[in-house]
Amino acid sequence: MVGALLLLEALFMLAPTAVGLIYREADWRIFAMSSGITALIGYLLWHTRPASKSMGKRESFLLTTSVWIVFSIFGMIPFIAGSPRIDVSSAFFEAMSAFTTTGATMISSDGQCFSHAIVLWQAMMQWLGGMGIILFTLAIIPALNTSGGMQMFNAETTGITHDKLMPRISQTAKALYGIYVVLTLATVFLLRIAPMDWFNAVCLAFGTMSTGGFSADPTGAIFESDYVMCIVGVFMLMGGINFAVIFRLVTGRWRQIRIDEVLRMYFIAIIVFSLFFIGAKYLATDDISIRSLLIDPVFQVISCMTSTGYLAPGFHIWQPFVLSLMILMMISGGCAGSTSGGAKIDRMVYLGKFIKNELYHALHPNSVLSVTVNGRMVSQELLAKVIAFMCLFILIIAAGGTVLSFMGIAPVEAYVSSLSCMCNTGFEASLSGYGDTFATMPAAAKWVLSFIMLTGRLEIYTILVLLTPNFWR
Amino acid sequence: MRIVIAGAGEVGSHLAKLLTFEEQDIIVIDENGDRLDALDSSYNLMTVKGSPISFITLKEARVHRADLFIAVTPYEADNIVACSIAKSLGAAVTVARVSHYSFMDPENRTTMDKIGVDHLIYPEYLAAKEIITSLEHSWVRNWFELHDGQIILVGVRLRDNAPLAGMQLKEFASSSTNFHVSAIRRNHETIIPRGDDRMQPGDVLYISSLRDHVDELIELCGKVQHKIRRVLIMGGSKIAIRLIDMAGDRFKFTIIENSRDVCRHLPEKCPDTEILYGDARDPETLAEAGIEDCDAFVALSPSSETNILTTLSAKEYDIKKSIAEVEDFQFIRQAEALGIGTVLNKKLLASSSIFQLLLDNDSSNARCLALTDAEVAELEVKPGAKITKAPVKDLRLDRSMTLAALIRDNKGMLVTGNTQLQAGDKVLIMCLSGSLHKVERLFN
Repeated sequence: MVGALLLLEALFMLAPTAVGLIYREADWRIFAMSSGITALIGYLLWHTRPASKSMGKRESFLLTTSVWIVFSIFGMIPFIAGSPRIDVSSAFFEAMSAFTTTGATMISSDGQCFSHAIVLWQAMMQWLGGMGIILFTLAIIPALNTSGGMQMFNAETTGITHDKLMPRISQTAKALYGIYVVLTLATVFLLRIAPMDWFNAVCLAFGTMSTGGFSADPTGAIFESDYVMCIVGVFMLMGGINFAVIFRLVTGRWRQIRIDEVLRMYFIAIIVFSLFFIGAKYLATDDISIRSLLIDPVFQVISCMTSTGYLAPGFHIWQPFVLSLMILMMISGGCAGSTSGGAKIDRMVYLGKFIKNELYHALHPNSVLSVTVNGRMVSQELLAKVIAFMCLFILIIAAGGTVLSFMGIAPVEAYVSSLSCMCNTGFEASLSGYGDTFATMPAAAKWVLSFIMLTGRLEIYTILVLLTPNFWR
Repeated sequence: MRIVIAGAGEVGSHLAKLLTFEEQDIIVIDENGDRLDALDSSYNLMTVKGSPISFITLKEARVHRADLFIAVTPYEADNIVACSIAKSLGAAVTVARVSHYSFMDPENRTTMDKIGVDHLIYPEYLAAKEIITSLEHSWVRNWFELHDGQIILVGVRLRDNAPLAGMQLKEFASSSTNFHVSAIRRNHETIIPRGDDRMQPGDVLYISSLRDHVDELIELCGKVQHKIRRVLIMGGSKIAIRLIDMAGDRFKFTIIENSRDVCRHLPEKCPDTEILYGDARDPETLAEAGIEDCDAFVALSPSSETNILTTLSAKEYDIKKSIAEVEDFQFIRQAEALGIGTVLNKKLLASSSIFQLLLDNDSSNARCLALTDAEVAELEVKPGAKITKAPVKDLRLDRSMTLAALIRDNKGMLVTGNTQLQAGDKVLIMCLSGSLHKVERLFN
């Protein structure tokens, strides 16, 4: 099972190899070699017979987590072997950051020049991780079209409940990936006519649709063009919408979309935050062009809300309170079932309604209230799960920040990094204006942050159950 | 095939599980969210919460694209209405579970067609039929007839003193060519045997044979055929009433029922039947009912445990045939291991008839029998099917299936390694659960 997935990853590595060859760069050999190693180990694993074929909940949690970790381990080979050489912890951080669509990187900021192959590989990892590794394999390996595959789908996909679009899991996976591929192709095409060369367009499109926040151009010069900003903004926005909703839109089931409260909330939040940002920008600058007062702030809000993590040019001179708004948006994140990170708007909606009810209940103790979303009552069990999730979310961020500050990182920087990794946004710690980049962090901190990123991407439970003694009994 | 199942009760859930293993696209509708969650979280299917008789729910389940709509809620009126709506929305074939014989009556067929119900499942009727078959052939556990009884598949438990016990399959095959051992159930597991497998005492053998030779099996398996006349029934359930109605005067029935209310209504529904008020778990009641003279004991109370235990105690009175209704799946194997002659399960009977419909869509006249972990099916070979390409021994068939017998030109014959199948043959297949779709692929 893991073997088959590794063979797949090896296949993916061939794309950077080809690009390396096209650009006549030396490191195509490294990719060919990485691909070879991955394929070899994948092939060996493929031929080990599993002890038992049946897959329960336990196995699915374990397998999903290990697939993500194993993918990151093999995904980092090109970084270790490549030039300039980076150490193992940085490489693992880099790979994990790409797969979880966090997009935090130690490469872009210090101006090192990486080859096209490495850059493409990063973009591809983000793209694959955005919609999900497991989901991808469900879509193409028919052998996984069983209840075991479905359990893994549940362990990987974000959100409180998991929409099945079609009766069988492989059909659902195909539908979701179909939408993803079409949207990505549309982005590539629209960016190409910007004009932008194919390579940059593909990398930027991968970073945009996966809401990973990766671009082939570390200087940010790519965002000088208004057109590019708008295209990237619109497709980030799409990346933050539940793909099941987009699927219904495509298949003409409008009724279900009109009543989708979560989607409405997503747009309302973006509009409200945009107004704040526009106000802040107005106060901070004398430049009152459309670009400065409309495109930049809205772009920044979308980038933040969908946990993409692109920064609009000149962001650092905006009002400081913008930063605290950004933290709110990062925590909230996009819709469940999208490629975005964070705790997801869905949970915010549930929580908001629940709190409203509780407050009302304090005044009128005898009233019977229920939380209804989209006209359906939400069960107490589900609410409890949401509340526990939010508590864990905050706790992990706090714990992560504390652990990081033990390692000698300034507290603000530590907490912001922890938050940014948990929400898979990947803003530099330097965002807060204090510290420097992830690159300067100690090796141990990188492992801690990698763990936080994975926990954030797989939505906590999948990872944390593995750490409970009950799981192994 | 896209199948919508309305009702996630026992039958609905069981069907949904079985059909997902057969790689069908399943959508389950129910009003009870908890039941759906249980199915949704562990099986590869989709669920829709809502009433099966609501247009909104049925549209949400996209019934208009369904190839098969199965309504198996506990309420027959709901089932019929759901089928009717589904049919009008565009479902290809609809099946409703009913609990009154009048719906099944051929003279009401046109009415049922008019309201959009294509097929009916009536588990009590199927159960009654099953009981009659096993009373007539008292030495077998299962009796499956094909094509007017040209080919017969029997499930029979091997006695210790049976000539077959301890024999290898290939020895048996060389001594007699009139039988095909299709499957063996041993220690709660069904296996498709090979030539070097040995038949052991206590095994349940599923043997295919031709009509003229099937009686030879009685002796080979160490059994005796009894003529059953007097039958004692515990529990005046719907199955009992159906059974007595269908059996006519072939058997003489006595019913023991422990509810006064039920007893009061029984005489009207079951004329010429002796009805006793009392608890069949009580030896005195059994004696009063004349168990000493009875040939068969049929336990049909609502509780599986009671049925199994009472049947066991009834067996001490030298009855020739014991039948127990066991609705809990986990008890079926226990009951069989305890030596209860025939175990009835309404869910299995219902799924048999659904499987029949599944196969029906392609082959004109398919029959099917669902066992706990295997299926027996009759399939017609289509022209150009993969299975006609080579003699059976060269087909490299999956180990989960075996071809037992076939009907060609209205004549039955057993399948051997050298048999070459032809288009138009009707073949009797035994396969383990979850592989019926593989079999189907071979035939089309």
